[in-house]
Amino acid sequence: MSIRPALVFAILLGLLLVLEAALFVDALSRRKVEATTLTQLEVLTSALGLTDLAVSTEARYTRHPAVSDAVAPFMDHPGAIEHFPTGAFWLPPPR
Amino acid sequence: MAQYNIEKQLNILDYALSSLWRRRMKSLSVLLVFAAVIFLLASFQMVTQALSDKAKQVLAYTPEITLQKMSAGRQETFPLTYKDQLDGIFGIRRVVPRIWGYYFDEVRLANYTVMGMDTAEMPEGDRLDSALASGKMPSHEESGRVVIGHSIKKGLDLGGRSTFSLFRPDLSLKPFEISGEFSQNTDILTNDLMVMTLDDARDLFAIPAGQVTDLCVYVANPKEIDTIARKISDALPAVRVLTRPQIQKTYQVVFGWRSGFGSICLLAALAAFVILAWDKASGLSPEERREIAILKVLGWETSDLLAVRFWESVIVSGLACILGMTAAYIHVVYFSASLFRPVLMGWSVLRPELHLLPSMAAGDILLILAFTVIPYLAATVIPAWRSATVPADSALGG
Repeated sequence: MSIRPALVFAILLGLLLVLEAALFVDALSRRKVEATTLTQLEVLTSALGLTDLAVSTEARYTRHPAVSDAVAPFMDHPGAIEHFPTGAFWLPPPR
Repeated sequence: MAQYNIEKQLNILDYALSSLWRRRMKSLSVLLVFAAVIFLLASFQMVTQALSDKAKQVLAYTPEITLQKMSAGRQETFPLTYKDQLDGIFGIRRVVPRIWGYYFDEVRLANYTVMGMDTAEMPEGDRLDSALASGKMPSHEESGRVVIGHSIKKGLDLGGRSTFSLFRPDLSLKPFEISGEFSQNTDILTNDLMVMTLDDARDLFAIPAGQVTDLCVYVANPKEIDTIARKISDALPAVRVLTRPQIQKTYQVVFGWRSGFGSICLLAALAAFVILAWDKASGLSPEERREIAILKVLGWETSDLLAVRFWESVIVSGLACILGMTAAYIHVVYFSASLFRPVLMGWSVLRPELHLLPSMAAGDILLILAFTVIPYLAATVIPAWRSATVPADSALGG
């Protein structure tokens, strides 16, 4: 007796569901660890008066977008163009 | 009746699956391309959402008001006496001076963020040691001692030593001893950070005595931030006044689809759909016309043929969506968004360990569905109707 295709598809969906459930359980445990780290991050922000995330360290306007002007990328010399790769990911800060 | 309808739909689903399997190479190609497009969009959405969330959580503790002096469009130092001019403003609880700047390490080609301040004066300053991986913060009397970020420690490659030197602007060497190290877990804030006393920072950057780069202002009532900021602007017209809400707002908009990279992701998705829709709408292949004609001769109705096409589209787009989003989640969480790192960090030499954990809300999933699955379903409606209305004799007779 051959298995009907809908059943094969249901089994495939079931396997994907198991994978999603495993990822969800793992996310719960990661969230607990993150909560501990968050306390450290809050203390650091407060005690050092930090204003920005240290994701990109190549250009001052993507290292500290919150305290940079929108014109900062073009300040190197008259007619300067924005040339750092991270400039493609970050939008200019609103002012 | 319900039983009959369910059985009928299951049979149609069986037929749709067999039909997809018969054309498995084509179906698989469409599925993979579709999943890759969704992966790209979902990865971007997850990375930006995780970073925005993190910023929202931690920047709630940033100084209520930050003062900087601008001259000719650039930030410059200003005298500490500016602090005295704030004395008359009612509602200010505390003003902490700070020296803050960048040090370019020409040997390692890395940029360090240097901060000089008396942390004992800052809120939560007494708890700072608990946030370090090792050591302690130097007090304002401890000259020559610094706390450094994890990546700096790695970059300096000190081996067993705890001392290193940096160049002053006149190229004389200023020695430092490592007093503590920030934890790798807090890399997202402290990766390139070097914290020292105010006097050491002044010495390193050759800033004249009595000059600082920032004043961190703390107010008694957070509801009065804007009012006090306005009063400070009136009292010190030359300074730039940044408030905590402004800083938080920056991170809610700084990652977005309008950025160059975000636009590329969207355009790639759009181009893929245009090609897909073009392929679907440009006409039926002779094989497809023959298949439809045979089904019609066998007694299938137009609605049944539409149902087959609908199930095919739902299976392909649904599977692609699940696969694409799952792969995107794994990419962001387990591989720290490694495909995006070249753009996210660019030419940065010091790169933080990103522990991103996106929380996918229903809205985010709907956004991705709206960009991907719904256009796909819409793009298949007209071709499906066209294919279903092909007269049987025209297909078989030809």
